Amino acid sequence: MAIRILSVDDSRTIRLIVTRSLKPYDCQVIEASNGEEGLAAAASEKPDLILLDISMPVMDGVTMLTRLKEDEGLKSIPVIMLTAEAGRDNVLQIAKLGVRDYLVKPFKDQQLIEKVGRVVTLANKPAP
Amino acid sequence: MKETVQYKDLATRYGFTAPPECVARLTQLVAQSDLELEKVARIIASDKELRARLLRVANPKADDPSEYVIDTVEAALMRHGVACAVLIAMGTPLSIALVRTVQTMLSMKLEQADRRSVPVLEGEHLLARVGFAGKATGQVYLRMDMDSATLIASAILGIPEAELTHGPEVNDAVGELLNIMTGNFKSNLCDAGLDCRLQTPDVRTSEDLETPMVAGGGVERMVFRSGRIVMHVDLTVNPWNVN
Repeated sequence: MAIRILSVDDSRTIRLIVTRSLKPYDCQVIEASNGEEGLAAAASEKPDLILLDISMPVMDGVTMLTRLKEDEGLKSIPVIMLTAEAGRDNVLQIAKLGVRDYLVKPFKDQQLIEKVGRVVTLANKPAP
Repeated sequence: MKETVQYKDLATRYGFTAPPECVARLTQLVAQSDLELEKVARIIASDKELRARLLRVANPKADDPSEYVIDTVEAALMRHGVACAVLIAMGTPLSIALVRTVQTMLSMKLEQADRRSVPVLEGEHLLARVGFAGKATGQVYLRMDMDSATLIASAILGIPEAELTHGPEVNDAVGELLNIMTGNFKSNLCDAGLDCRLQTPDVRTSEDLETPMVAGGGVERMVFRSGRIVMHVDLTVNPWNVN
C-alpha cells in the first residue's frame, strides 16, 4: 500500500518540489497550505508522515504541531519540519514538542528523500 | 526529548550548516549595546570577504579596488561609522543565504557582481519584499527583470521556460526564494541576540525602483549574477532597537 505523506506549506513551489521528489516512490502526497488545513487533512487522511513548514498564514506550523501532539488520535504521526527557519529558539521549542527530524530549506531532493526514508519505508513505484 | 538536550546537539543531529564564525561574531557584537569600533575592525580585518565588502561600501564611486580612496578597514569605519559595519554584519548572512539557496535549489553558481557590470534594471520588473521587526528592524527587497524571474521559476520547478507564463507560478517561486533567504537570515539574527519576526512577504510586478530607508538605518545594495539571471538585493536595516 502506498505511503501517504502530508505536505503542509503555504508555498505551492515547495509542495510541487516535495511531490516531484517523491514521484519515483510508491507514495501519495496530500497537500495543505496552512496549519488549519493541515490539521484537518491529518485527521481525515491519517498520513504516515507530515512535512511541516513553520511560517504560514491562518495557522503556523508550531501551532499545528502543538495541536497535533495534544490530539490522542494524531500525536503518533511522525513529523519532519521543512522550513527556512532554524533559529535556536524555534528548534528547541519544536524539539520539545516532538519531531522526528528537521530539514532546513534550501534543500536538495536527495536530502528530502534521505530524511523521509529514515522515517517511512520508501519503495519504488510498482511497474504499471 | 529531554530538555537538557542542547541546541548544538540538535543542530548536529539535524545536519544544520552554521554561518561562518566571523559573521556570527560580528552579528553578536552588533547585538550588544556597547558596540566597540576596535572589536568590529578586528573581526572585519580578519576576514577577506568582509573586508572586501566593507571597502566596497566605503568607496561607492570606485569601479575597481585600484580606485579606492578609503583602503583600510579602520579608515572605512572612521569615515562611515558603525552603521556601515552593521550593514556589513547583516548583509553578509543575507548574501550567504541567497547564494546557498540558488546553488542548492537551482544548481546554479551565483556570484556577487559590481552594479556597473550588469544591465540597468528599469521599467516593469518583479519585486519581492519582506520586512522584519523586533530588536532589528528592516526590509529586504529582491528585484529582477521578468526574464530572470522566469528562469528562476523554471529552474526551481523543473518546468521548461516556454511553459511558464508570468503569473502565480513565477511569483510563488521567486517569493519562496525570498522566503528561504530571509528565513535563514532571520535565524542568524535571532541566534546572535537580535530577535525579530518576519512579516508577510509581498511579491508583485512593479516599476518602482526606490528602496525607502528604514528610519535611523542604512541601505546596502547588492547585485548577484548567474549567467542570464541578475538579482538586485537591497537591505535596509536599523538594528538599534536593542532593549
